[in-house]
Amino acid sequence: MAQSFSGYPQLANCFDELVSATGTARPPADAIARFIERHGSAELIHRQQQLDQTIRSMGVCFTLYNEGQNIDRAWPLDVMPRTIPLSEWRRTSAGLMQRLQALNLFIDDLYHDQRILRAGIVPKDLVLPSKNFLAPCQGVSPPFGVWAHICGTDLVRDERGQFLVLEDNLRVPSGVSYMLENRTVMKRVFPELFADSTIVPVDDYPHQLWKMLASLSPRPGDVPCIVLLTPGIYNSAYFEHSYLAQQMGIELAENTDLQVEADGVYLRALNGLQRVDVIYRRVDDIFLDPTVFRPDSVLGVPGLFHPWAKGQVAIANAPGSGVADDKVIYAYVPQIIEYYLGEKPLIDNVPTYLCADAQQRAYVLANLDKLVVKPANESGGYGILIGPRATEAERAQMAQAIVTNPRNFVAQPTLQLSTAPTLCDGVLEPRHLDLRPFILQGRDLYCSTGGLSRVALRRGSLVVNSSQGGGSKDTWIINDEV
Amino acid sequence: MLLKSVDHVFWLGRYLERLDDTARLINATSHVLIDSHQDTQFGWPILLDVLGQDSTVLLQKFQQGDTPLTLAQTERAVMTCLINAPDSPVSICATSTALKHNARTLRPLIPRDMWEELNALDLFLQQHCSTAVSRQQRYQLMAEVSRRCQMVVGVLDGTMLRGDAFDLFNIGRHLERADMTTRIMDVLVLQQLQPTQIKRPKFRWLSVLNALGGMESYQYYLARQKGDVDAIDYLLTYADFPRSISYCLNRVAASAKALPHAAAILQDLHQVQVLLKPQALADLSTVQLHSLIDELQAGIIALHQQILAPCQQPAAVVQLSA
Repeated sequence: MAQSFSGYPQLANCFDELVSATGTARPPADAIARFIERHGSAELIHRQQQLDQTIRSMGVCFTLYNEGQNIDRAWPLDVMPRTIPLSEWRRTSAGLMQRLQALNLFIDDLYHDQRILRAGIVPKDLVLPSKNFLAPCQGVSPPFGVWAHICGTDLVRDERGQFLVLEDNLRVPSGVSYMLENRTVMKRVFPELFADSTIVPVDDYPHQLWKMLASLSPRPGDVPCIVLLTPGIYNSAYFEHSYLAQQMGIELAENTDLQVEADGVYLRALNGLQRVDVIYRRVDDIFLDPTVFRPDSVLGVPGLFHPWAKGQVAIANAPGSGVADDKVIYAYVPQIIEYYLGEKPLIDNVPTYLCADAQQRAYVLANLDKLVVKPANESGGYGILIGPRATEAERAQMAQAIVTNPRNFVAQPTLQLSTAPTLCDGVLEPRHLDLRPFILQGRDLYCSTGGLSRVALRRGSLVVNSSQGGGSKDTWIINDEV
Repeated sequence: MLLKSVDHVFWLGRYLERLDDTARLINATSHVLIDSHQDTQFGWPILLDVLGQDSTVLLQKFQQGDTPLTLAQTERAVMTCLINAPDSPVSICATSTALKHNARTLRPLIPRDMWEELNALDLFLQQHCSTAVSRQQRYQLMAEVSRRCQMVVGVLDGTMLRGDAFDLFNIGRHLERADMTTRIMDVLVLQQLQPTQIKRPKFRWLSVLNALGGMESYQYYLARQKGDVDAIDYLLTYADFPRSISYCLNRVAASAKALPHAAAILQDLHQVQVLLKPQALADLSTVQLHSLIDELQAGIIALHQQILAPCQQPAAVVQLSA
């Protein structure tokens, strides 16, 4: 008999990840429900304390930039995991890989023949004037025709429990280090649950990432020299940069550690200059090379663009790949998949209204109180208006911004994001969450096992970003096929 | 290894050792106080002076108006400067901040076990070294700081890859230890400058040896040495004792051998080693001993610069390796 989640105040009209509509544990969450039943919530609180302590001693943190200061915060991880059955995850990850494959064909097309624009599938006017379309990249052919090698796709579930893509992060998606560290922490805190359930491991990711990067090397056959390029220790994602470099055993370089020579890029090492084959850059592309892109960039390596364009060094993600990471382009991804792959999308988009289109804009302006409005080119949850929760003044301000610059905004219906039981002030309450899996493409395609689940810790909130009061959960893909 | 990491790894070693040795300096001097007669005036400000600080300036902040600090107030103020004053560059808290910064920069080179040990050390210091403590608590606390520093070193020794980074870390550690041993010695030498200026004063310094963990091995040393030796010979020249200057310099030499600029380092090292010839030590007066310590410290500074020389080069000068 299914274990009950007694006393859990489930939300009406929301899909709960762990608890079914009848109040019992969904099959993958059965072991967790039994654990709570056996040990009580006092034990859960105790484990949360242990978990917090573990996070501090492991030094898992993120950096907030506030009032001119960088503040390191301990990474927020909820003691309750989020579960997904493996059979469902297989379908989802196939959809994610399908999506990335199509997006890469799209980017490569945009920088070469622009067939899709000529075919009128995606309007030319939405692509070519975009600040993410980097003209110098035209004609460049990166290995395998792949531009976006690492993609963090944000998924949400609607009220029916269906996964939908919320956005594709193709520039410098972050969060995977927290996915990995969440698991390390949870294994220390819940050894018995890991012994009893069939939780699929996630720790393969750093090796898969290394393999993907290595496949891009212009000198196949040789041991590739791969470096991670970071803006530095004060960057908000520095924890992740240093963590991934360590996990892959590669150098963590800043721009001043790299030097461009006639035949390629070199690393300034203790033993002299060392040839670099692949750069995993965590610097925005427009800052990569001040001689080609933003001249005021102090994070770039002057001249780096040319060895990349000549194929002497690989850069992941390739400069210019951000052209497909745009909330306006997002609306066209289903058509893009059909155009290049001749397949139906395996995962749907959230319905999206483009303010650039007069008719759709009129609808958006008339329904601001029902919609979520997003700027096309922001990340981190900034600049978003959640219509039903906004004040009249905030909506008026947004309406003005849309009229002034319609290309810059899209709108989506306010979704009933799925929830999961989350320990809040000692009791389990439903909190909304999303999921960011990480998909890799080089020679091969790969999708992480699950991803980073981000949870809005404030009651009723839909904002999951850690910079804005969001927390996280370990994502357990439970093998239901054995 | 990245060229710029030379600097960070070396300093990681120095800062970690400095934490340990600052704790030992505090306990060594607290013990001198316990050993001495009640009417002996112990010059607390010397502790700041030997660390290269201007004690007058630092202590001024603790003064209320023109009234000079009492002995007890001075002790408290000096300890604040050594343990937790945020604006004192030699405090344990300041060293810990620098240590953490270096560790973050070097994260890819640091094994997870050591990383966690460093975090535990930092959390401990934040929790226990941020407020003033009584003399009695202080002893326990400083002993614990030393112990935790050694845990980090132990974990590192058991997990870190042997390579340039490991060598540079050890060079940093032993150079700092040599430096701090001279400073701890200097405290006692300076205490004895006044009123006597006798030839080769007999230092017993049992409290110092105790704080340096060298009490038993000193007895072992005394029982086996020919001639008239004391703690000075022991701390400077006894290469079997892991806190003697000779030992530290030998370790720097051993760790430097495989570095690309080994030859230059070993040459500078030799300049310091010759200062420690035993015959030169036999007839030193207190004043001469103090100036020998000065020379040693100058040699250590030169060595420090030589070790970091490769990363001082501008970008264009770096040559392709064969």
